[in-house]
Amino acid sequence: MSPGAPTGGVLSKLAGRVRFTAMQARVGVLIILCVFFTIRSPFFFTSTNLVNVLVNGAVIGIIGSAMTLLLVARQVDVSVGSAIGFAGAVFAVFARDYGLEWGVVGAIGAAMAIAAINAVAIIKFRVNSILTTLATLVAFRGASKVVMDGRAVRIEGFRFLGRTRFEVWGIEVPVAVIVLLLVVAIFYVIMRLTKYGQHMYAIGANPQAARLAGIPLERQVGIAFVLTGATVALAAMIVVSQVGAVSPTTGERMEFLALTGVIVGGASLYGGRGSVIGTLVAILILAVLDNGLVLLQVQSFWQEVSRGVLLLGAVIFDQLGRREAEVRMEV
Amino acid sequence: MTYVTVPGAPLLEIRHLSKHYGTIRALDDVSFALDRDEIVGLLGDNGAGKSTLVKCLAGAVIPTAGEIYLHGDRKVFSTPAEARDEGIETVYQQLALVDIFDIPANFYLGREVMRDGWRRALGILNRGLMRKRARAAVEALPARFPNLDAEIETMSGGQRQVVAISRAGFWGGRLLLLDEPTAALGVKEAAAVLEMIGAMVSSADTDMGMIVISHNMEHVWSICTRLLILRQGRLVADLPKAETSRQEVVAHITGAT
Repeated sequence: MSPGAPTGGVLSKLAGRVRFTAMQARVGVLIILCVFFTIRSPFFFTSTNLVNVLVNGAVIGIIGSAMTLLLVARQVDVSVGSAIGFAGAVFAVFARDYGLEWGVVGAIGAAMAIAAINAVAIIKFRVNSILTTLATLVAFRGASKVVMDGRAVRIEGFRFLGRTRFEVWGIEVPVAVIVLLLVVAIFYVIMRLTKYGQHMYAIGANPQAARLAGIPLERQVGIAFVLTGATVALAAMIVVSQVGAVSPTTGERMEFLALTGVIVGGASLYGGRGSVIGTLVAILILAVLDNGLVLLQVQSFWQEVSRGVLLLGAVIFDQLGRREAEVRMEV
Repeated sequence: MTYVTVPGAPLLEIRHLSKHYGTIRALDDVSFALDRDEIVGLLGDNGAGKSTLVKCLAGAVIPTAGEIYLHGDRKVFSTPAEARDEGIETVYQQLALVDIFDIPANFYLGREVMRDGWRRALGILNRGLMRKRARAAVEALPARFPNLDAEIETMSGGQRQVVAISRAGFWGGRLLLLDEPTAALGVKEAAAVLEMIGAMVSSADTDMGMIVISHNMEHVWSICTRLLILRQGRLVADLPKAETSRQEVVAHITGAT
């Protein structure tokens, strides 16, 4: 920065400095929360409870991984909550009427149909992704109620994804947690090691440069929506298996929780930044916070307040970091 | 890379090139030829059609009429990638760099090298190889970068421009297009960029030709061998630098002849 250049004030300086260690800060917050709740509650630091925390974060982490990829390319999908509800409804109804295998086929088909609608509207008709997925958010919440006829559908025999546990090093690890770690690993490889991931970062950071470099923007963004659909199908089956039923509210607000995790995890709404590891840590922070507040018997309304505050804080941080970058660009 | 060539044909020939936007003639029946080792300065006022002409050559704009020949072979470009595959490298006025990437990643933007075997099928990048090749190319240039791994956003405007030009030179096509390479740069930075362009041309063992757009005549004058002047979409003058003067060029640009 040259002398006399505008400085962004104390707060943005702080944000600029913290950016270097944002990942450490995130892990630090997670550790501090864990230590705090361990001191305050004898139930927190037990293997049963910690596994619970992971299970609660699993579904959000799975869709959050895909959401991170979308944000990196300056896209967003707020329809994932309804998509989970719709895919879950199709899954439960098909499984009840035609057998489990058709339920799986139905869930994947339903999730992919929503992904296709989102992708076509965004890529072909060039509608903003927030507005497109806001429309599908509302439409598929309704559609899921149509499929289940407005009433919860119970599904008994499907325990595997949601309720089966494997013993690893003496700890009972639920399948959902193993699936979460696999999904995070896959998205990590895609985003950090592949040409496709490199293209997504370029598209988010400078779409014009990406286009001039011959990167097929439409195709790459379309693939991201299909990957999102895949995580939605997986998440829907896990949720239905965990609960043993699908209801008209299944999946509600999951888009908000995933988006909060992704943003707190360091992804920028302006594209080009974000990592699935950051998202994973952020979702663990949210899950620990929820869990700890319950253990301390804090009124549940405060969970919502704490989530909102976290998201707002993360968005302000994102904006401050961006202003810092703009000041540097003017030099 | 080998290209289709017709013996004796010039590197680039443009015949009756036009680009109309509705009733506006951004480019109107422009014809000229360019030989290898020539550095042509493309001058003109704002809206004279300089950028449109370069974009037609770069595949970013599809001309309404006219033909483009490279070494005597007719080309029709519908995307920038097609022009690039024919050896036309472009440095755009709005820098086409990705700020959050380092120099190697920007050099290989859209042309990433993958690892061999099964990892190629998965699209796994070979960052080590790309870095090694980019480093070798950067070290052969007169420009110095403190840190090859630094993100572009930490660099000054002049450094960014040097990176953008280095990238075009790195891929070493047969025609290099520079759209306002010194716009938005300070005097010192502009001088460094011009020196860099000059060094690239004189050291080039390739048969590269170059078109430099600018409305800063001093900058163009210092590096080019020939001047093309556009006014209101038309090519109004085609002058070897040795046979003209700054006054004559300015007169052509403004139309005060």
